[in-house]
Amino acid sequence: MESMLVLAGEALLPSRIQMAFTLASHVLLVPLGVALPTLTLLMEGIGIWRKDPIALTIARRWSVVMAVQFAVGAVTGTILSFEFGILWPRMMGRFGAAFGLGFAIEGLAFFMEAIFISIYLYGWNRLRPRAHFLVGLTLPPAGLLGAFGVLSANAWMNTPGGVTIDSGRVVDVDVLQALFTRALGYEFWHFLIALYMTAGFVVASVYAVAWLRGRRDHYQRLAFAVPFTIAAALTPVQLLVGDLSARAIANDQPAKFAAVEITWTTRDHNPEVLGGYIDDSGEVHLGIAIPSLDSLLVGYSPNTVVRGLTSFAADSRPNTLEVNIVHLAFDVMVGLGSAGAALSAWFLWILLRRRRLPESRWFYRLAALSGIGSYVAVESGWITTEVGRQPWIVSGTLRVSDAVTDAPANFVWTSLIALVVIYALIAFFFVTLLIKLAERWRREDSGVAAAPEMGVPYGPRSVPGE
Amino acid sequence: MNDPLANASAFVLLLAITAYSTAGGVDFGAGIWDLFAGRGPQSRRPRELIDHAMAPVWEVNNVWLVLGIVLCWTGFPLLFQSVFAALYPLFTLALIGLILRGAFFAFRHIAADPRAHYAADLVFGLSSLLTPFFFAACLGAIASGRLAFDQMSVAFGLVSLAATAFSGASFLVGDARRYGFDDLVAYFRRRAILAGFVLITIGTLALGAIGLEAPALLWSMLAGVGLPFVLATMILTPLVMLLLWRRRYVWYRVLTVTGIGSMVFAWGFAQSPYLLPGQLTISQAAAPHSTQLLLLAVAAVLVLVIGPAMALLYYLDQRGALEPPEA
Repeated sequence: MESMLVLAGEALLPSRIQMAFTLASHVLLVPLGVALPTLTLLMEGIGIWRKDPIALTIARRWSVVMAVQFAVGAVTGTILSFEFGILWPRMMGRFGAAFGLGFAIEGLAFFMEAIFISIYLYGWNRLRPRAHFLVGLTLPPAGLLGAFGVLSANAWMNTPGGVTIDSGRVVDVDVLQALFTRALGYEFWHFLIALYMTAGFVVASVYAVAWLRGRRDHYQRLAFAVPFTIAAALTPVQLLVGDLSARAIANDQPAKFAAVEITWTTRDHNPEVLGGYIDDSGEVHLGIAIPSLDSLLVGYSPNTVVRGLTSFAADSRPNTLEVNIVHLAFDVMVGLGSAGAALSAWFLWILLRRRRLPESRWFYRLAALSGIGSYVAVESGWITTEVGRQPWIVSGTLRVSDAVTDAPANFVWTSLIALVVIYALIAFFFVTLLIKLAERWRREDSGVAAAPEMGVPYGPRSVPGE
Repeated sequence: MNDPLANASAFVLLLAITAYSTAGGVDFGAGIWDLFAGRGPQSRRPRELIDHAMAPVWEVNNVWLVLGIVLCWTGFPLLFQSVFAALYPLFTLALIGLILRGAFFAFRHIAADPRAHYAADLVFGLSSLLTPFFFAACLGAIASGRLAFDQMSVAFGLVSLAATAFSGASFLVGDARRYGFDDLVAYFRRRAILAGFVLITIGTLALGAIGLEAPALLWSMLAGVGLPFVLATMILTPLVMLLLWRRRYVWYRVLTVTGIGSMVFAWGFAQSPYLLPGQLTISQAAAPHSTQLLLLAVAAVLVLVIGPAMALLYYLDQRGALEPPEA
């Protein structure tokens, strides 16, 4: 029995790494998965109603990227759902009846997306334009529903609710309460806006690079302007939602908030520390401390009392390393968000005052970086919420170490290594494919055109033997 | 204790498993024939047809898998926990097969170098064996009630390989016919009949193994609620072979799917009301009623909204409406 417990403990580290790795990989596919259909439809709409064949070409090409990405996301998502059982069987056994609800809804959404993406992709030129556009209109709500499902499940882990527990077993579930827990409101809006911003910046950054390389015709300008405008318009909204979220977390998830702000002891006039790190004795090193700002942000008054890490038992709050990871990730997210806001302000100023796109090379250099920056921001935000919940898998209720599998550590290390290798291969194939597609489309623009979705895996069929 | 809501959820779960076994099985079967197509110029045409037949639907099939697993952990958390706590190595192997398959199916479309292309074919083919074998082995381990990799798992795994090879070949006959490739119709017709014989042989041996390992399960398959489905499989498989033998190309695909589906139903119904024979019944493992209701609502939406959409996709696909216009 003793040795089994030791083994279970050993599997904890590789299990956490494997979950973190596979989630971190999957989350990279989410922004385009949820938001690219909307951008594509917008472009298709422009093409149909303004009779712009270039816009239709852009929409058609984006739909190809959307489909290929969806296929990769379907694989990494399937892995994740199995990992809940392989790595965290006790979590699912105890709380599946409540925690699983969001995933049931996400499963439905995933199903809709899979089918309608197929019909949408194959329907180019085979359905009448308006019918094709109508098929596409199913995709944004399916994406929303999927995001809702997953965020509902995640919010449940952060602020569990809606369950009646009797001698360790869930005996009753209030479905609505379990789906709509306190954290859902801010997690949903914050993440949804982040997805649309990221998709906008990522797609636009591709054409910012093209602009820098001297390709500045109608095609490039349109493909840049539409996604960038959406991202830029959402950025100020995100600053507001982010601020509201942080304040809600201070209230709902105080240990996470204390980690975010590296607040050691409960106090008023709490400073906001930018950068820096905390050590085991609560000493803050490096970093710029702005006096009383944290108290001001939380309660609009320097006298606001903010809970510190030491107000939680040492084994019920993130450890020092985790606290520093959370703090750094949060600062990176906010820093990148602010940079994105500045860039958006630049763009919107010129767009609204001069009715044209910016012409500064520096603007396009920064816009070219905005895609990567957005991905880093999404990862940082995700790290903040997940690492900030430690050591709990279900906040205050079930510890990660109590949910982990009994599998031997070597087994999990081996599967982790296998997954890293396979994911690296998939990433390589995926990027190679995107580069090949881009090259081919560029060739086509200067010569004879074939349907953009031909010859792509998961694309429509070509007649064999031709 | 009878619990109609939980029974309904369990039935939906069985439907998801059946859908994955039949729709996914056709795909895995195509992968198996890709592996057996060999190397060299004679393998080019069958492989192209396989490529072509698989391209549009494989990620749609993953959806059944995800749906099944979500239904399992939400509707029957205790079953999910026991099954995964015990069978994680089998699931891991099946999963690794699944991602390798997807990755290398994509890769062979972009591999320029012939050796890389061959390696991609090989990984794709081998992983098409790995995944159905280990997923079915999990079902075997559940059916025995022992949750261990033993004769029952091997029996279920081998039956699933024979069944996927059979259904894969049967559907490839249809794809070859659609394009009027008579040589490939003959090629896959022979293979479908061969796989049918293998399936009947292995299926009979598997029944024997079930009799030795889990006599109660065999009993309800032969003298209980499983019987109609066992009979259906035993009639439909030779019937499909006969149709193909006589070159009567009618109904053979529907009958193939019905036969394979009946096989899954035979297992599922025979072990009811147990989810884990001898250990855990449907009502013991079931989540509270409110959760079951939400699951059934999701299932109803699936049938209402997605059923027609899926039917439309398959219809358009089978009718060739999604083909590219003639160049």
